[in-house]
Amino acid sequence: MPTACLLLVFFCSCVDKQDFDQYDDLGITPSYEASILYIEAPEVYINAITGVNIITQNFNFDAFATDIFADRVLDGTITYEIENTTSKELEITVEFTDDAGNVLDTEVFTIQPAPTAIDRREIQYGNGGRPIDIITNTSNFRVTAQNNGDNTSTSGIPDAKITLKSSAEFRLRLK
Amino acid sequence: MKSTRLIYCAFLLAGLFVHAQNKQVLYDFTEIPQSLMVNPGARTDFKWYGGFPALSGVSFQAGSSGISVNDIFADDGLDINDKFRDRIIHGMDARDELSGTYQLELLNVGFRGKNPDNFYSFGIYNEGDAIGYWFQDYAFLGFEGNAGMLNRKYDLGHLKTRGEIVNVFHFGVNRRINGKMTGGIRAKIYSGIVNFHSTRNKGYFVTTEGQNNLLASTLVADMRMRTSGMNAVWDAEKEGDLVGTFLKRGFFGGDLGLGLDLGFSYDLNEQTVFTASLLDLGFIYHANDIRTYALKGEAAVEGIEILPQDLLDPNNDFWQELVDEVEELIPFEIDERSYLTFRPTKLYASLRYNFGEPIQSQADCDCGITPASRNRNRAKYVNGIGGQLYAINRPRGPQMALSAFYQRRFGNFMALKTTYTVDKFSKTNIGLGLNLQAGPVNLYVLADNLLAYRNLAASRYASFQLGINIISWGGKN
Repeated sequence: MPTACLLLVFFCSCVDKQDFDQYDDLGITPSYEASILYIEAPEVYINAITGVNIITQNFNFDAFATDIFADRVLDGTITYEIENTTSKELEITVEFTDDAGNVLDTEVFTIQPAPTAIDRREIQYGNGGRPIDIITNTSNFRVTAQNNGDNTSTSGIPDAKITLKSSAEFRLRLK
Repeated sequence: MKSTRLIYCAFLLAGLFVHAQNKQVLYDFTEIPQSLMVNPGARTDFKWYGGFPALSGVSFQAGSSGISVNDIFADDGLDINDKFRDRIIHGMDARDELSGTYQLELLNVGFRGKNPDNFYSFGIYNEGDAIGYWFQDYAFLGFEGNAGMLNRKYDLGHLKTRGEIVNVFHFGVNRRINGKMTGGIRAKIYSGIVNFHSTRNKGYFVTTEGQNNLLASTLVADMRMRTSGMNAVWDAEKEGDLVGTFLKRGFFGGDLGLGLDLGFSYDLNEQTVFTASLLDLGFIYHANDIRTYALKGEAAVEGIEILPQDLLDPNNDFWQELVDEVEELIPFEIDERSYLTFRPTKLYASLRYNFGEPIQSQADCDCGITPASRNRNRAKYVNGIGGQLYAINRPRGPQMALSAFYQRRFGNFMALKTTYTVDKFSKTNIGLGLNLQAGPVNLYVLADNLLAYRNLAASRYASFQLGINIISWGGKN
């Protein structure tokens, strides 16, 4: 009798209906953010350059091209913040280029002389914004800064300079 | 895709079936020879016993303190993403654990010595044990990411896990010290097959407002994962020689260690018995096929930073410089130095009150219920009731369980024991054990958390033990 009871426990156990196909519907899409690029050029440096272009620089940036990112990115935002405390109007151009040097995207900032408010701009990629392919194919940035003013005047603000700050927030599909 | 799903389901199932190694039904169930394995000082009346090889002791226990399969996969019409987020990511914390153990006796033999007060037992068993605490902050980071979580520190210490597979060779002596006291000791040699160990991780990852740039990402890490035998097993799997590798490492070709079990039973009066045991007081020295992976250092990154002095060197690969700098600040290193691990030591104690009619022992002796009856094999009472304590040493400190039990004997051919156990996994854990004696053949089946059998998928804990032995009590058989 006790044996029967024990066997009954084992063999008459129940399992509520489970639906393991739900796993297919599970989506794991975290969003990650980090800084990308920071450039600083003091007014002293700008005044020392005789030409119009004060900065023309290519930056290798492999983070977007890595498989773990490029294969999984869904959408995101790149945020720029530019502050000009120099005495001249400056034009900053940020270009996204691929391995072959083709320009995939361009962002132009024209910043008035000091005192100016901080120019903050958020550019959406994917999800209704610019094509996310721009990001996944980007392997370099090209930054150009052009002095639209003179190269003799100086700002009354101490430690005058132009700064470009940027960060990225992207949503990835991990599952 | 299917393999990913299988791995995922296995993970959750592992979580379902995990629990500490409490054998509360077997403990002090002295009709079963394997009770000597949880208390070498248990009172025995056998002349000798022999377990059926590989069938004398099979046990499996598993459970989770935080989640069940039913919580996620129940066909309840709820969105799995909501269930996953609410019940796993936000529902579990770093103290929740997923753990499990199994034990398979390969050989277990016992015999009474020339001095009938001594009973010897020896054998070999294979044991696997693993525990993983819920890696809460890693899960947050993986499921939600760090966006919008400024100043939120993700604790790297939430990775806390250990596990091993080991063969244990043991020899025990059980001795009736006097009319009231029986003591026992069991020496063990451990032959480690695989081991992994990562329990003292420290550090954090945090995103803060940057000094120059918009954000600063800071990683402070002091992490280490030690493994032994894992590479040998992976290589063997590729070469199709998994069994050979397990046998080689399990029979003194892997890591070696020593251990001890201690225990006693003491009659407080004619009907009240106090017992206690301390198991696996030992260590394993891992010196074979070692890989220790370490990540130690700290770095704060604000992306590529081009300062005025850098503008003079336009050909610099600033990205590669950044990567190299981080790798230098937080190096990932692998070494092969040996290490020592201590076994998860277990403590049992029980207080039992026996009552009802006495049952004559099957042993060939002049047995009675009192110590004065020169009794090595004192008669047993029909009923026993009492309480048990269990504790095991775990990476986050001791885990405890309290049990109440009732045991009923039906002559010398059958005994039943039922337990009610409270621990961090369950407050409704009812266990039942059956011991059958058909002539010399002994069969036992013990199961735990029986209420969970109403819906196995909702259970956070399950365990069973079974075995077959041949027992002789000497002349009366």
